[in-house]
Amino acid sequence: MTGKKCEFYIGRFFIWVLIVIASVWALFPFLWAIITSFKKPIDAFRLAFVPFLQFTPTLDNWRMEYINRGPEILRGVTNSLIISIGATLIALSLGTLAGYGLSRFRYHRWSNRNMTIWFLSQRFLPPVAVAIPFFLIFKNLHLLDTQLALIFLNATFTMPFAVVIMRSIFKELPEELEEAALVDGASRLQVFYRIALPLAAPGLVAAGIICFSFAWNEFLFALIMTYKNAVPITVIIAGTEHTQGVQFWYVSTRLLLAILPPAILSLTVQRYIVRGLTFGALKG
Amino acid sequence: MLEKNKRRVHYGLGQREKYIFVLPGMIWILFFTVFPLIYSLGISFYAGRFGKLDRFIGLQNYVKLFQDYRFWSALRVTVIFVGVSVTVIVVLGMILALILNRKMKSVRIFRMLFTMPLFTAPIALGYLGLMIFYEEHGPINSIVQALGFSKIPWLSNPVWAMVAVAIVNIWQWVPFAFIVLMAGLQSVPEEVYESARLDTSSALDIFRYITLPLIAPILFTVIILCTVESFKMFDIAFSLTDGGPGIATQTLTYYTYTTGMRNQNFGYASALSFILLAIVLTISTLFFRRYRDIYD
Repeated sequence: MTGKKCEFYIGRFFIWVLIVIASVWALFPFLWAIITSFKKPIDAFRLAFVPFLQFTPTLDNWRMEYINRGPEILRGVTNSLIISIGATLIALSLGTLAGYGLSRFRYHRWSNRNMTIWFLSQRFLPPVAVAIPFFLIFKNLHLLDTQLALIFLNATFTMPFAVVIMRSIFKELPEELEEAALVDGASRLQVFYRIALPLAAPGLVAAGIICFSFAWNEFLFALIMTYKNAVPITVIIAGTEHTQGVQFWYVSTRLLLAILPPAILSLTVQRYIVRGLTFGALKG
Repeated sequence: MLEKNKRRVHYGLGQREKYIFVLPGMIWILFFTVFPLIYSLGISFYAGRFGKLDRFIGLQNYVKLFQDYRFWSALRVTVIFVGVSVTVIVVLGMILALILNRKMKSVRIFRMLFTMPLFTAPIALGYLGLMIFYEEHGPINSIVQALGFSKIPWLSNPVWAMVAVAIVNIWQWVPFAFIVLMAGLQSVPEEVYESARLDTSSALDIFRYITLPLIAPILFTVIILCTVESFKMFDIAFSLTDGGPGIATQTLTYYTYTTGMRNQNFGYASALSFILLAIVLTISTLFFRRYRDIYD
């Protein structure tokens, strides 16, 4: 083997070692939760990884969770779904409109730049800073512990993702088609609705998934604004502390339920993650 | 010709229609952030206890801040936490991105797996951390003890508790730094490296004089965004340490929450919010000043 080839294989080997280490680092907590959810309490604290060999797996935790807290967890998941979908729909409709406007027109009065920054600044705003006034406002409006309150808040805080992703997607679309339609007498709204929107559909789905995930994962607002009827799954996880300490074998079943939907959805939006999360500072 | 076309679309048609697109979103945000902030500013001038606003006390809440040792502690905790987190996130993300910046299928699959922590609810991450850092027979302490060391007081020692919270936060955001920095590295054309290799054979030199200046703007973006996200961190501390032991992991965000929601002192919490806001405003101004042009 020539020196260069040898170097190549050593390089490859080194990369593989690094990938394995980093994957273990990235996935270990998930694996631990999955393993723990199939362990008996007595095995939960043992450093055992391989079922059947190192410990006897059991479905008891999942079964007990289903029997004892099934309705509560189901309600949590339902609430999370309603809140995330509602928030996504609002964020997506307002965000897509704004993204289209910002990519197609010049607004002289306020300047496009300032308006984009206006939208993006929501992501910089610490949620806790508006949580307290919102708590008081919603209390007065009798909106505490409703899904509507959380839909509004999550729509506000996920809208920047929708604006920035849709803006960059509309910018990439050719304008000629839309111009032709305008010449033929279509109105701007028709052009947007009939031509631009269908072309931007993949991006729209990706933006929706990113908004959905962040709304699903949201915890602080949910903790403050809900206590009974509108409690989403994130708050249910947080309510799992027990007088006998945290019962990890049960907790891990709940954690997995909460983690899975966004984690799986995220695998489908690879192309849009970078521009979404960097506010379009980078395309990726 | 093309320029002219653009101009016609931009200036000619739909002068009034164009506002239909942006106004709904802008009004929404005006209503859902500016309005509560103004309301909050009002509250911050009141003394409030047990969920009621008592009397107008002017700037006294703000004056009280400077004599409040918990505030100074929270500020210190925040600075240390954000500083440590962001440094480690960026360095680890950079190292990973530099080494894995090649077109291999395995790298692409790894990149996908690596986005999962980013999309995991931070509150769930906190509980995963609680399971892993558990002091009695948790997996990490089991390994530590098997190696012959004494077990680490992850959650009962102030310094270790901070380390634990930072590790979970780092765990969530390293993927972000990695993905973004790798996208940045891939936007550097191969020829640049090729011609650089003619001048020097030192990989370190190439990194320092070629790669680093080229991806500096992206690095800056990553640093700012990680800073803001770490600054807003709440869920992990809530589930992992509850701000403790004592107030050792109580960040400004956390202190604002406990003051407002647990002690129901809305006035003082609102004053705290405005300190938070001032800090974030400074950071975001830095960001937007640098990136104004891409939003044009």
